[in-house]
Amino acid sequence: MKFKKRTYLFAIVPFLALCILFEIVPVIYTIIRSFMPEGGELGFTLDNFINIFSKALYQKAIINSLWISILSSVIGMIIAFFGAKAVHEGAGRLKQIFMSILNMVSNFSGVPLAFAYIIMLGNIGVMTMIGKNYGIEFLANFPLYSVWGLLLIYVYFQIPLATLLLIPAFESIRTEWKEAVALLGGNKTTFWTKVGIPVLLPSILGTFSVLFANALAAYASAYALLMNNVSLLPIRLSEQFVGDILQRPEFGSAIAVVMMFFMVIAIFIQNKVTPKQGGRH
Amino acid sequence: MEKKKHIGSKAIILLVIIYLMLPLVMTLVYSLFKEWIDVVPTGFSIAAYAELFGDSAFWMAIGRTIIISVLPIFLCTVFVLLTMYVIVVYHPEWDRFMQILCTIPYAIQGVILPICVLSLYTSAPKPFSDRMVMLVATYMVVILPYIYQGIKNNLTGVGAGRLIEAAQMLGASKLFAFFRVVIPNIMSGVTVSVMLAMAIVFGDFVIINTLAGGHFTTAQMYMYDVMKKSGQRTCAVIVVLFVVTLLISGGAFLLQGRQGKRKERG
Repeated sequence: MKFKKRTYLFAIVPFLALCILFEIVPVIYTIIRSFMPEGGELGFTLDNFINIFSKALYQKAIINSLWISILSSVIGMIIAFFGAKAVHEGAGRLKQIFMSILNMVSNFSGVPLAFAYIIMLGNIGVMTMIGKNYGIEFLANFPLYSVWGLLLIYVYFQIPLATLLLIPAFESIRTEWKEAVALLGGNKTTFWTKVGIPVLLPSILGTFSVLFANALAAYASAYALLMNNVSLLPIRLSEQFVGDILQRPEFGSAIAVVMMFFMVIAIFIQNKVTPKQGGRH
Repeated sequence: MEKKKHIGSKAIILLVIIYLMLPLVMTLVYSLFKEWIDVVPTGFSIAAYAELFGDSAFWMAIGRTIIISVLPIFLCTVFVLLTMYVIVVYHPEWDRFMQILCTIPYAIQGVILPICVLSLYTSAPKPFSDRMVMLVATYMVVILPYIYQGIKNNLTGVGAGRLIEAAQMLGASKLFAFFRVVIPNIMSGVTVSVMLAMAIVFGDFVIINTLAGGHFTTAQMYMYDVMKKSGQRTCAVIVVLFVVTLLISGGAFLLQGRQGKRKERG
């Protein structure tokens, strides 16, 4: 009888099998492997991590990745703040169009986005040619194939995500608060610095974490633009396992662990600060 | 004052719209002209599209993309529904663990998960070392958070617990109540998350590139190959794929809006 009652448990077997086999075990295996010596022998070592943090090539990847993720998140956030504020202050029909465009361009990322920038600002890009023809130095010599170009692309995909995440937060700001601040003699700047931004701070921090994780993990646009010729964590990670150069799975696992560490911090912050509500969508 | 504020926020929105639309519009225009080296492009032509639609490799790539998105999404939805059945009917307290399992994919997003899967299973025994198995399973894990959240929100929305109680009072078994009463009620809501998941898999490059390399040319891989050959044609591929993605996510958006309205009325 007892056994029969529990047959319903079979219903969770497929889900559990999926999570264990393709989520938990791969991650644990990667973590264990990151502490094993290179070459496949058994043993425990910290060499892989010491290598990442001491070799210039990988130091650069960490610094570049953190730098580009933080900066693109900050810039995206600032633009999104004003965008969401403008939506909050209401602009009728334009607001509707803006929302549709945000939803639309949030699908424009990865390889297509990188290519769009190549035809705009690449070696023979349209704007580069216009810059050359009319002597506009800034356009003619735009450093697209560098971390600066990547930053521009990253900022592009951060804006719609950040704005869409921030708009709901602005709904919590009440008109009465603005009136109260005005009654007490404060102006608009006082309102935003003393009331508005502090109220929004949890949402801003939460959104920032999502953006940071999003940029840190981004691979396709960087790969499409620069192949493996750029020092970023995701690029350095994948080349240890796939591609032409010598494969170093143990060392690569350590890079993956470093990345997961940053991601977990970002997600932890996000979970701590975001008020309880259902998920990202 | 009021008027001025309005103009200010309008100007900001317009500026952001221009910035966001520029790469898209340029891609579209670029795909329609033979040459664009000055302010105005010259030589209007839809040859790039004609070539693209005439290329059987392109249609094969589209077909592969459809297969590789439909299979994981279908399986993932079924797996999550089965688990939610146990959670809603028997063990609501297990939802905490389910939620954790469905949040982990965020921490291993992008290149991390496919690399972890690849490194574990490349030299594993047969069913696991099969690239297609790895691919389908990895996509399932990636879309897990979206499918879970969609199903959970809808289960809460229709009041699954009370629906089952009511059905039981009318003499239905728990199993029947969940699969014949609750699921039909949440199906249209679940369709929204299914379509979002579809848009995600459709736009994926990193997982397919890591796990399948050149062996399974999806639409994204096809685009990447064309990139080295012709600018116009690449832009045409981008435009076509973007329109398809828009149709999918736009459909989800519309469906969601319609549901919101229905709930308000109800």
